[in-house]
Amino acid sequence: MVVAEFTLARAPVSDRRTPLRWIGSHVARHAWLVVMASLGAFGNAALAAVVPIVIGQAFNLVLSGQADADSLLRLSLIILLSQIVRGILQLGRNFGAELLGQRLERDIRAELYVSLLGKSMTFHNLQPVGDTMARATNDVREINLMFNPGLNLVVGSANFLIMPLFIAPAIYPTLILTPLLFLVAYILALWRYLAELRPVTEAERGAFGRMNSRLAEAIDGIEVVKGSAQEQQEVARFSGDARRFRHAFVRQGEVEARFLPLLLLGIADAAAFLQGVWLYSQGAIDLGQVIAFVGLIHLFGFPTFVSLFAYSQVSLGMASARRILELINRHTELDQNVGGHGGRMRGEIEFRSVGFAHAGATTGLSEVSFHIRPGQTVAIVGQTGAGKTTLAKLVNRTYDVAAGRVIVDGLDVRGWDLASLRGQISMIEQDVFLFSRTIAENIAFGRPNSTQAEIETAARAAQAHDFISAFQGGYQTLVGERGVTLSGGQRQRIALARAFLTDPRILILDDATSSIDSATEDEIQQAIFRAAQGRTTLIITHRLSQIRWADLIVVLRQGRVAAIGPHEELMRTAVAYRRIFERYGEAPG
Amino acid sequence: MNFFGGLDAESYDRTYRDRELARRMWGYFRPHARKLTWISLAILTMSVAGAAGPLLVSAGVQSMAEGVVSRVTFGLAALLFLMGLIVWGANWVRRRLSAQAVGDVMLELRADAFRATVGHDLSFFSEHASGRVVSRITSDTQEFAQVVVLVTDVVSQILEAMILLAVLVFIEWRLLPWLLIFLPVLLVVSIGFRRLARRVTRRGFRAMANVNAIIKEAVTGIAVAKNFRQEDAIYQEFAAVNAQSYRINVQRGFVLAAVFPTLNALGGAGTALLVYIGGMSVMAGVITYGAWYLFISSLDYFWFPVLNLSAFWSQVQGGLSAAERVFGLIDAEAAVVQTELRSVPPLQGDVVFDRVDFRYTHEPVLESFSLHIRPGEDVALVGHTGAGKSTIAKLISRFYEYQGGALRLDGQDIRTLNLTDYRRQLGIVPQVPFLFSGTVADNVRYARPEASQAEMCTLARKIGEGEWLETLPDGLETEVGERGGRLSMGQRQLVSLLRVLVQRPAIFILDEATASIDPFTEYQIQQALRLILEESTSILIAHRLSTVRAADRIIVLRQGAIIEEGNHDQLLRQGGHYAELYNAYFRHQSLQYIESARQMALGDKAGS
Repeated sequence: MVVAEFTLARAPVSDRRTPLRWIGSHVARHAWLVVMASLGAFGNAALAAVVPIVIGQAFNLVLSGQADADSLLRLSLIILLSQIVRGILQLGRNFGAELLGQRLERDIRAELYVSLLGKSMTFHNLQPVGDTMARATNDVREINLMFNPGLNLVVGSANFLIMPLFIAPAIYPTLILTPLLFLVAYILALWRYLAELRPVTEAERGAFGRMNSRLAEAIDGIEVVKGSAQEQQEVARFSGDARRFRHAFVRQGEVEARFLPLLLLGIADAAAFLQGVWLYSQGAIDLGQVIAFVGLIHLFGFPTFVSLFAYSQVSLGMASARRILELINRHTELDQNVGGHGGRMRGEIEFRSVGFAHAGATTGLSEVSFHIRPGQTVAIVGQTGAGKTTLAKLVNRTYDVAAGRVIVDGLDVRGWDLASLRGQISMIEQDVFLFSRTIAENIAFGRPNSTQAEIETAARAAQAHDFISAFQGGYQTLVGERGVTLSGGQRQRIALARAFLTDPRILILDDATSSIDSATEDEIQQAIFRAAQGRTTLIITHRLSQIRWADLIVVLRQGRVAAIGPHEELMRTAVAYRRIFERYGEAPG
Repeated sequence: MNFFGGLDAESYDRTYRDRELARRMWGYFRPHARKLTWISLAILTMSVAGAAGPLLVSAGVQSMAEGVVSRVTFGLAALLFLMGLIVWGANWVRRRLSAQAVGDVMLELRADAFRATVGHDLSFFSEHASGRVVSRITSDTQEFAQVVVLVTDVVSQILEAMILLAVLVFIEWRLLPWLLIFLPVLLVVSIGFRRLARRVTRRGFRAMANVNAIIKEAVTGIAVAKNFRQEDAIYQEFAAVNAQSYRINVQRGFVLAAVFPTLNALGGAGTALLVYIGGMSVMAGVITYGAWYLFISSLDYFWFPVLNLSAFWSQVQGGLSAAERVFGLIDAEAAVVQTELRSVPPLQGDVVFDRVDFRYTHEPVLESFSLHIRPGEDVALVGHTGAGKSTIAKLISRFYEYQGGALRLDGQDIRTLNLTDYRRQLGIVPQVPFLFSGTVADNVRYARPEASQAEMCTLARKIGEGEWLETLPDGLETEVGERGGRLSMGQRQLVSLLRVLVQRPAIFILDEATASIDPFTEYQIQQALRLILEESTSILIAHRLSTVRAADRIIVLRQGAIIEEGNHDQLLRQGGHYAELYNAYFRHQSLQYIESARQMALGDKAGS
């Protein structure tokens, strides 16, 4: 049985079979809000219908010739009161839908987040962060908007559509004809309109996106554009993009201009008047009823105009729900292996005919074999795409091998308890991520109870103490947008300090920093060198000096081991390796 | 979205006088004058037909109240039907034509804005963030053009209300005050709501930006948290932020949810008043039943324009200031000015700085600077940041304007050259190599679109026996992604250098990258560099020891002045500023340093 890497006790369970059921199961938890919004929507429409009916009664009253100021005042007060109550009910509808949307946003985001925390490192390494972020912010927001204004207006306007259907026949049976015909025609027209509009809107959005991204690129690369004297070509290209957008824009305008429900509304108004006058001339209804009926049909105005925007909001929301659920449901390959081996690690690593291929990972590996003794420092070198990072990530089971075995201390990594394995292997990635907290908290991230003295010792070992002390807030300085921005090299040293605190048995360092000045280079060299002491260290590096002092060098080329051995041996046997040192040998330095 | 107005001001912004602004705007709309006339006619038609609706119904009510239902009454229904048709048809004409007019104006404005933008020199782009320039070209133009649609919408509603108003005055002016009494109240209430909504929305936006930033961090940090098994801690943090976001949104939601209910209740009060006053007037014999009905049903027609009016001014204002921003961009003055446009024959690559003065804003960077670079020479510029290295390179590229002295190429004043001609003979590689989305091949022939496939392949294979091509999934046809993002830094540099190789420029200007690159790719970059250096006069802003050594002459700069010159060995022996620079920037790249790292490692290991 596969166990997620993180679960939350007492978390509510949702139905994840289909997007609709899923949203449904979330809504069900706030049933009273649904009741409140629905009652509000119904009451709002019903009380809106009161106005034309009472106006009709007022006309009848005055026509009867027996009217007095008091009875007219009473009717006016009924209108006033009903509209105040209507306002309250409408507020209930709006706010109910709003609350429902906000709560679902909150709940679904939390569910998504817990599910993300439970997924494997493989998942997170293959899943682009930008994409996950878009789902946790924009898509979750879309679901909120689907309820308010989306469904709020759909349900609200549906009540306005239905109300005349019930009230008109109560005035006189055949009066159902006009609203019924309108409703049928309206639904058909709207259906067609939305079907026609969708591709046109998408085309417009796409044209805008293309125009915008190419423009941004041209302006960012202006030095190249001007340096290559390509201004005219760029202007021509942009004008072409802008023209394509113009066509899409006009096309959308043309579809929108043909909005048939507007015509239907005009026809319904005329038809209601005609039918009213006809029945009046037949003596079937009185003037007050004609006025009430004409006013009732006018209620169709609201659904006619809001429908546009409300329906597309709902379909956007459902699309977002689908995307989020897909992410939540995506299965994850690794598991905790709670019963696995959990002893102290010595740090011996062996790759035995390892093969790896993954759709999302850029590079594969094949037939990779080598052996690292505990405490050795190993440099992994090769061009971009040779498989260096992938190789390193097989050791802590960020990825699992497709073929062969990765063995740590004589035991296949899949036989280790995952927590124990990762707890003893520290990985410092190329782009070190720091939280927007203090520097001290970032250093102590892996061991939250560390004392200030321990943190400082670690920072000193990582050659980070000096630059940290130079900040005004010292170790309490905030990192990130609201605090200081650290360079790649500084972040790397913070990460090294982290590693000194957690004292892992295996350290994997993906080093892509570069120093412009030699003094910084000295510091980084020292920090990394110290970190490598007393533990097995894998360094993916571009630095010749580090390659030079490694005990073992693994040269990768296109996913295979091209050469392996200590420096002296490779200088004798590997041409490509010798070449990179030769150009330095031209003259005495 | 005018919430952040005022934050996006740029130094080239200017305030146009209203008349000037109107004249400029009209310039863009004038070619569409016929369309605009038709649009106006359509609006007028819509308004008349729209206002006719309640008039027709009230006439019917009047005749029914008098108990005379004749053919005329049924004729009213037919007219009503016709009005519905006319409103729809006129609306169709208006929307269609205004989409065309707006689309065309947007296109013109965008093309003008972009043309003006690429015409600027680089100082413009270093002063102004590219994102903002982009948003002026795409978003501001749209906002400006959309104002027209907005204006026509509101104008048609106001016109409709005016027509009704005229009719009501004609029918019974004494009842009019009762109809109009609510309008100021409505205006005040809706403006009040707008302000309130704006405030809560702004506060909500600010809070949401915060929350989003933290959520982004929480999502990005998942991998780190998992590495250190800190999932629980990071979840607690997330949950707190998520709850905070909920609270802020609910507050905002409540204000927005209250807007329409309040306005509806207010509308109910208006209707109630007109029912009462109107009914009393009918009983007193002052007005007819038809007029009573007309007054009640006119309320809606006054309601909407007033509601829209409260938002209208700020939207129009937004559109006008968008127009001002776009014109500001178009009118920004160019700093680089050519005195003549002489065509440029194939250059030898002889570059002379003759007592050149250059200031960047106010600070002098170069003062009376002289330098002669001979045809075919490879010159490396070294010095601390701010010594003037890239200024020299950018003046040669004619990206900046200098203030004094002369800069001559093959004896010609640079100000007299046709810049397009001239730059075709320059090969420039910026410090951060920039690629355009498309294939590697597209980028390689960017400066010389007519370069053949065979030629590109031959050149590509010359570098490291084409080994770097192996690392690209589809060779030269590999898609590089936006800004070249799918390639590594080293690969991007190789592509940039290959572009220059294909271009075969007379003068090569390189601002060497400082990014870390794997030694194998580095070797290939050096090879490509060597091929270019053989063919062109080269100006190198060097960061690599090997590049400095490959130069014929090293120019050592300090505060805009040349203080030493010579080759690497001479300068190092001299023990002057170059030796200092060497110790600061190049020492760690030397073989000696690399070898001693080994010694240090071994020594320490033995000692520990």
